[in-house]
Amino acid sequence: MRRKILLFFIFLISLNLTSLYAQDILLLKNGNIITISGENIMGGDILIKNGKIARIGKNLKAPSKAKVIDLKGKWVMPGIIDSHSHIAIEGGVNEMGDLIIAEVDVKDVINPEDINIWYALTGGVTTIHTMHGSGNPIGGRGIVLKLRWGKSAEEMIFKGAPRTIKWALGENPKQTNFSRQGKPRYPRTRMGVEASIRKIFEEAKDYMKKWEEYKKALKKRKKGPLPLPPRKDYRLEVIADILKGKYWVHCHGYQSEEMVSIMKLCHEYGVKLVSFEHGLEGYRITNELVKYGVAVSTFADSWAYKWEAYHTMPHSTALMVKRGVLVALNSDSAERMRRLYHEAAKTIRFGDLSEIEALKTITINPAKILGIDKWVGTIEVGKDADLAIFSKHPLDPYTICEMTIIDGQIYFDRAKYLEEMKKKEKEAKKKEEKGKKI
Amino acid sequence: MKKLSYIIPIVLTFIFLALAKTPSIILIKNATIIPVTSPEIKNGCLLIKNGKIEAIGKKIEAPPGAKIIDASGKYVYPGFIDGFTHLGLIEISAIPSTVDVQELGKFNPELKVAWAINPHSVHFATSRVNGTTTALVAPRGGLFPGLSALVKMNGWTFEEMVLKEVATSVINFPVIPSRRRGRAPESEKEREKEVSKLMKELKNYLKEARRYMELKEIAESNPEISPPETNLKYEALIPVLKGELPVIITVNKAKDIERAIEFVKKEKLKAIFRGCLQGFKIANKIKEANIPVIIGSLYTNPAEPEDGYDAPFRNVVKLAEAGIIFCFSSGGNPAIAKDLTYHAARAVAFGLPHEKAIKALTINPAKIFGVDNRIGSLETGKDADLFICTGDPLDIRTEITNLFINGKEIDLSNWWTDLEKKWKKRPIK
Repeated sequence: MRRKILLFFIFLISLNLTSLYAQDILLLKNGNIITISGENIMGGDILIKNGKIARIGKNLKAPSKAKVIDLKGKWVMPGIIDSHSHIAIEGGVNEMGDLIIAEVDVKDVINPEDINIWYALTGGVTTIHTMHGSGNPIGGRGIVLKLRWGKSAEEMIFKGAPRTIKWALGENPKQTNFSRQGKPRYPRTRMGVEASIRKIFEEAKDYMKKWEEYKKALKKRKKGPLPLPPRKDYRLEVIADILKGKYWVHCHGYQSEEMVSIMKLCHEYGVKLVSFEHGLEGYRITNELVKYGVAVSTFADSWAYKWEAYHTMPHSTALMVKRGVLVALNSDSAERMRRLYHEAAKTIRFGDLSEIEALKTITINPAKILGIDKWVGTIEVGKDADLAIFSKHPLDPYTICEMTIIDGQIYFDRAKYLEEMKKKEKEAKKKEEKGKKI
Repeated sequence: MKKLSYIIPIVLTFIFLALAKTPSIILIKNATIIPVTSPEIKNGCLLIKNGKIEAIGKKIEAPPGAKIIDASGKYVYPGFIDGFTHLGLIEISAIPSTVDVQELGKFNPELKVAWAINPHSVHFATSRVNGTTTALVAPRGGLFPGLSALVKMNGWTFEEMVLKEVATSVINFPVIPSRRRGRAPESEKEREKEVSKLMKELKNYLKEARRYMELKEIAESNPEISPPETNLKYEALIPVLKGELPVIITVNKAKDIERAIEFVKKEKLKAIFRGCLQGFKIANKIKEANIPVIIGSLYTNPAEPEDGYDAPFRNVVKLAEAGIIFCFSSGGNPAIAKDLTYHAARAVAFGLPHEKAIKALTINPAKIFGVDNRIGSLETGKDADLFICTGDPLDIRTEITNLFINGKEIDLSNWWTDLEKKWKKRPIK
């Protein structure tokens, strides 16, 4: 079985042979381009140089040595960005050994061979934020990846993306729905969740103070014994950096009241709270979300799997967008990830978003939430050439992702995939016939 | 004064009832009608009377007292049928007091979901928004989880909803779990061992039930022999063993489907398969065995990466090409049962003809569950379960404007629209 899987990986990687020889110049012709940043360009061209978008327009001339792809009226949109996922992680996603575990880091356990990376590519996804689970009030650190399938873990990391950390409120850190084996863990209430965050903040403040005092003493010292440094604490180091605003906090939360409370707490301590993850009751506190500048990364319509996910509706996304909240649709699942364009269409039916607003929830909005909108999220000159090409408009019910491009390299090509599948089928038939003869 | 406090509510109730009573004659005009079993009618009319479809045609005069609905530019489809759900059995999956879908133990063939369905679950209304009017509600767990029911998606009580109180039996067919799922042992051999142990239990149970049935028959024809003590579990299996009551068997991997085909043949059961993610590998065998298939949720990844990323969708196309009768289902979770049409759309995106997708939401499930004389198409004399929509019902963006069950127009507001209405009112600061 192992060998079979290995062979299959080799097969998948061979699909991406195109990405192995350098295509420094690529010209995509005759596509219907959804730029997100401006008007759609029907029958337009995109010139890609060294992984960046060099020109967008009509009837662009192909430079010599350029590889030219005629899109024949297919639709091009910015590569889809998933701001909340748990794929490409080796081992479990929840470190449950302790309450606050800021010291653990998803960056250390990236699995570049996770088959779900390939599945995501087949749905036009080019960038993901892969995160720690939601079992702890302050969980581990997350990482933003570009899905450069076939490359190493190091090569997949999105350079320049701010580092993130996962927090969680409500039923998960309370462990409401977990089977109670052994002693229950503190906290069991929302009060306890808030208190545990506040407690570690104060510890970190004391910790920082100790180090400052030590550094001062070191400077002051002229003679006599060296002052003793405080004991290094990797957990508090990270918490201290959170208090300095170095980490972008992505906070799992469902209920409106606890979301408001945590916004106040973060404001008090100067923490950079970027987004609520899920935020199914976010539609109730749009004023507050706008006031504190916090985004919501949510589902189009997943609900009712637990109490805190019951008081919501698929219209929530649209209502929040219309009231000025920055909203992204995320997957939180290796399956949902490959149909985020399909999820975006739901915001049109439920809540009446415009096509462009719907598509923003899976492109530029998550890019802003992740702090990578300088590079990705729209089709603009100078940005990374991360593109998803669809057979029909990406919100059409019968659309199919045909090609996924990252940094100007083709990582998924449906035509090539179909060819390979046909070959495989033929080989299997041959084998079968041979078997019959024997 | 005290008397008045009684009378006012009573009078108000009567006024309300009189107002709420929808006319039993409704004429839908100027619509594009898709009857499913006959060609599309452009600019057509459909007359509903006493809960049934009275007439369909190019031109129908409105009878006196009829409510007239002008559906210009809109479409009329027969209500969709969800081939497998837990609607009414699960409200919030994480809260046990709202969950009634799975009994303890392996052998519960006599359990009727009919007893447990909550007609007032919010999920019935939210699942109607994409045109579903009938659902197969099934239990789960153990080897024999119980008896499914076929229900209409509206009613004050369960009795008012039920179309078939006992629609099918269900067998939770033991399958080889995929790589290290849950507590499954790591080695394939051990996993297979566990499965064959369960298979033995399953077969033995059927054997015992069959013996019970035979003893009963012998006693009936021979007054000298006393019948066996009544066993409700075996009783429930008699129609299954006689091949009268179909049994739903969930299998996905090709190997398991093959095993299930053999099992069904040997036990002489009337089977309906559910899932069949790898059905494309042995479509001809399923066809030969003449077993219909309930497609599961297409919000799924392939059973094996080797099948290719689009296998779940390609699979439906292949099953259709092989001539297998199949229907769609939302797959279980009632919270997302509205997604039924989206699953069908995904199959169409990957090559299933649109017309076949519509059939798999209407007449096919009606045939599979033996109710095609009542529902599944727009035909004179059939139940008036239908909806009016603004476009292609498989398109997420299409609105459903009117929906009828048993000829009664259903209020399309629901938990979601109520919440939206309320929270739209919060002032923007």
